[in-house]
Amino acid sequence: MNGQPKESGYVQIRWIPKYTFIERFLHWVHTASFIPLVATGLVLYLPSLQPLAQGEAGIWMRLVHRLAAVLFIAEPLLYGIVQPLRLWLNMKEFGVDRDDLGWIKNAFGYYVLGKHADMPPQGRYNTGEKMNGIVMIVSWALFVVTGLIMWFGKGIVSAELFRWMVVLHDVTMIAAVCMFLVHLYLAVAHPLMWAALVSMRFGVTSASYAAEHHAKWYYGPKRARELYEAQKKHG
Amino acid sequence: MDRRNFLRLSGAGLGTALVWPGRALYAGAEQQGLAILYDASLCVGCRACQMNCKNWNKLPAESTDPLKIYESPRNLSARTWTLIQLRKQISEKQSQRRFWNKQCMHCTEAACVVVCPTGAMYKHKLGFTAYDESKCNGCGYCTQACPFGVPHMRTMNMLTGKAKAARCTFCQDRVPLGRKTACVDACPVAALIMGERLELIQEGKKRIKALQETGFKKANLYGELEAGGLHRLSVLVDEPAAYALVSGIQVPPLINFWQRIVHPAGKLAMGVTVLGIVIAWFIIRRNIKMEEVE
Repeated sequence: MNGQPKESGYVQIRWIPKYTFIERFLHWVHTASFIPLVATGLVLYLPSLQPLAQGEAGIWMRLVHRLAAVLFIAEPLLYGIVQPLRLWLNMKEFGVDRDDLGWIKNAFGYYVLGKHADMPPQGRYNTGEKMNGIVMIVSWALFVVTGLIMWFGKGIVSAELFRWMVVLHDVTMIAAVCMFLVHLYLAVAHPLMWAALVSMRFGVTSASYAAEHHAKWYYGPKRARELYEAQKKHG
Repeated sequence: MDRRNFLRLSGAGLGTALVWPGRALYAGAEQQGLAILYDASLCVGCRACQMNCKNWNKLPAESTDPLKIYESPRNLSARTWTLIQLRKQISEKQSQRRFWNKQCMHCTEAACVVVCPTGAMYKHKLGFTAYDESKCNGCGYCTQACPFGVPHMRTMNMLTGKAKAARCTFCQDRVPLGRKTACVDACPVAALIMGERLELIQEGKKRIKALQETGFKKANLYGELEAGGLHRLSVLVDEPAAYALVSGIQVPPLINFWQRIVHPAGKLAMGVTVLGIVIAWFIIRRNIKMEEVE
């Protein structure tokens, strides 16, 4: 703990809360629905997987896709019902300011090259996480609308509308899968992002990680800005 | 398996799946091959074609709409693959009633084949559009892509989506054995004939010329150019619109956009993302020493 003498050989970590149990639980429900949805959807998309789309196997794929879709649709709705305040507080973190521009400028050097660039202070979610979040929210809505129309509207809506739904569902999938691949890589494989997976498992993040990566959340916007300016001045 | 090997293996697997050669859009589609010629000027509307189609393909009867005296049933369905329809054109001067044999047009550029993700709909080497029901998973894309509204679903369960597509198969279980299709076989007035498509086009043009000389000025041959060339050609005594047909109709543009642009672009985007991640991972592993990470 802070204030206590450091023992040699041990790393002292002070944990601060980041996600509620419900948030973590629903995150993994979302994962557990998204991965089967992509897997069963890709069999219709990639010719190499065509044998899995045919006949009985294909009928099973379509059934699993629908079952997973129910979870996928329900999960964000449940969050809004169970913890509406938390949902609102999280949504409020999605504002955009000039630090987002600074983040984008420095992101390649920091996340790809591992350089300690002058990363402007970030809020509870950094610019990249916000982009991921926006893609997830928009793609969720598009998936749900286009998917439900294809599920229940076949033969009821016009063929023209149905065809648009199929194409839109595909385009949404492409964007969501690309975003998911980056999200998965940063969470599971990127050496600097180790704290992300910890906080999604245990709900806490390390104070030093939060201070470095989410200064505006950790110190508050004003103090974070002062620290950032001071650091830039002194190199 | 440790994390590094897992990532390598899944990266390689995804990469292979992405670069696997897709089928060319209209591969194997030929304007030559077999075709049926329907001559609307000869058709007497007896519905022998409709009956024999049901008979041969073991399709059950459908209930009749009492308000529609002639058309029974009203449209093609999963149980009715050939249907005689009555096209009425009633104006102040005159009323015209014409028979129309509605069945699969067996397009050279077949939208159903292009969108079918299972290969259940395919172009037969003899030219027509065949169907392998065992491969169908019931997605129903064909029913929404066909510009003629031919394929229908035998929907067994709305909730689970369990279904199978159904449509005229050009009697794929008769024709390759040298027999004629059931509809052609049954026609008592030779309004339906079967033969080589290119020869039937010549025959059709001959008949159109004769019709035009006898006063049917608007007579025309339908199917020479539509959807890459139809394998069900039609001699019409009036303009296509009188038969509820669209002259020059092709595969819906959105279908081509989806298959030609969206599909490859999506594979490229996902492939580039995977490749970028793998490269980024090697770079960051070289540049970051884990002991220094807080």
